[in-house]
Amino acid sequence: MKLAELALGILTAVGGFVDVSELVFMAQAGSRFGYALIWVVVIATIGIMVFGEMSGRVAAIAKQPVFNLMRHRLGLKLGFVTLIASFVSNLICCAAEIGGVALILQLLTGAPYRLMAIAATLAFIASIWMLPFKWIERIYGLLGLFMLVFVAALVAIHPPWAAIAEGALPQVPAGLSTRDLLAFAYFTVALISAVMFPYETYFYSSGGIEDRWTEKDLGINRLTTIVGFGLGSLLAISLLASSAILFGPAGISPDLVGTTALQVAVPFGRIGLLLALLGMLFAISGAAIETCLANAYSLCQFCGWRWGRHSPPHDTPRFTLTWLAVFALALLIVLTGVEPIQLAEYAVVTSILVLPLTYLPLLLLAGDPAYMRAHANGPLAKTLGWAFYAVIVVAALASLPLFLITSGGAL
Amino acid sequence: MKPSGRVELVAQLRDLQIVDSEDVHCGIVDDVELTGKAGGKLMVKALLVGPGAYASRLPRWWMALIRFVAGDGCVHVPWREVDSITSVVRLRRRAADLGLNRGEKRAEGYLPPIGALK
Repeated sequence: MKLAELALGILTAVGGFVDVSELVFMAQAGSRFGYALIWVVVIATIGIMVFGEMSGRVAAIAKQPVFNLMRHRLGLKLGFVTLIASFVSNLICCAAEIGGVALILQLLTGAPYRLMAIAATLAFIASIWMLPFKWIERIYGLLGLFMLVFVAALVAIHPPWAAIAEGALPQVPAGLSTRDLLAFAYFTVALISAVMFPYETYFYSSGGIEDRWTEKDLGINRLTTIVGFGLGSLLAISLLASSAILFGPAGISPDLVGTTALQVAVPFGRIGLLLALLGMLFAISGAAIETCLANAYSLCQFCGWRWGRHSPPHDTPRFTLTWLAVFALALLIVLTGVEPIQLAEYAVVTSILVLPLTYLPLLLLAGDPAYMRAHANGPLAKTLGWAFYAVIVVAALASLPLFLITSGGAL
Repeated sequence: MKPSGRVELVAQLRDLQIVDSEDVHCGIVDDVELTGKAGGKLMVKALLVGPGAYASRLPRWWMALIRFVAGDGCVHVPWREVDSITSVVRLRRRAADLGLNRGEKRAEGYLPPIGALK
């Protein structure tokens, strides 16, 4: 039974790893810079494994979700700034995900975009309201596994595996102009942000507390973060690599969410395209729900209100009203007509700004034996944690200037 | 366990989650009320919970915004009602008996009492 639970947890993590920002940035990065940015995805994946594992461990041992820690450790003022910043960032993410789902539904049905956005939001609300938490995770996570067709498509086009493997080594392509160099730096920061979105840790640690994790679950936590995120990252890398092979040489810039699905149509035709769109639909839908709930978790944990999806909506009224309000606001943003891809770019930039504030209290608490007893960060977790913290601080400092100078990587 | 001697207010108590005797979340220690004299022995008299307790901790314009959104209610929870302090502050009684979680009650009124599938 434990093994089945573990396998389901890992598969759910794989299916839920990719969201609209990753789809957009992986495809664009591959088309523009070939395999040269794969190393960034690898490094960011190790980063999300480290912080994901830490947040799960803190949930199991200290029984504390991220936002409780944040306020206790950073104090009211800085905690409040983090809350507002992460709320805005998650809201933009949620709007980007709803927009992405609406675009895919439009491609599948031909119905108007705005109508599809409204329908998708209503479906998400009904899912969260009616379904048990485990079902929500599993339905969207497991159906998101249709995305694995992207991996199959990469294998089917016989890629140059050696060149892809070389991409995993840190590098800056030779001979780039200053403009391209700046764009390369922007994509580096954007990919770190897209892989390490803060909502993932908010959602993961809150889920651990809802599932009443204890010391006994530390092994599952470690395996889920390492294997689940690791396999999810391979899926993301296959998106990048296929784009490098199919779009780059043809001069195609995959600026639309649907363009990415064409990677699969090349080897597998219409059936492949349909599977790719279905995989994207469920993976992005899952991300829409996660970003929305992450905001509700954050606000309620910061204020000490009742929260959780294991209880019926009526038993956690402020939590329920918060996630309903987040969906309503995100839908309003989508209905203004802002392109989902634009929203994904804003989401990535705002998220990287929040990351240092999110992970500092987590690092401090995970290393504090007073709370974590024998499970406080050891030498490896400490070294990796602070090394990745330095990486995200540098990325956060560079993100806004790079976004403005390169006009969101368009240079 | 409830500390019987010195309490490190900032490190140990302030901004901690409060749970009641039934493990229900019922706010955060937004501030503490002290009793005693300057230069003399200071004792914690009560935990202060609610937006009204932030007033001295946030810039005035932030507080005006919070007051507009969430009001400025503040509940005093007597120190004797604190059962233990670990990674949460546990109370001896139910939240409702101490005047906590009124906001949850108000919010309940906006939602239909139909639940999720189990």
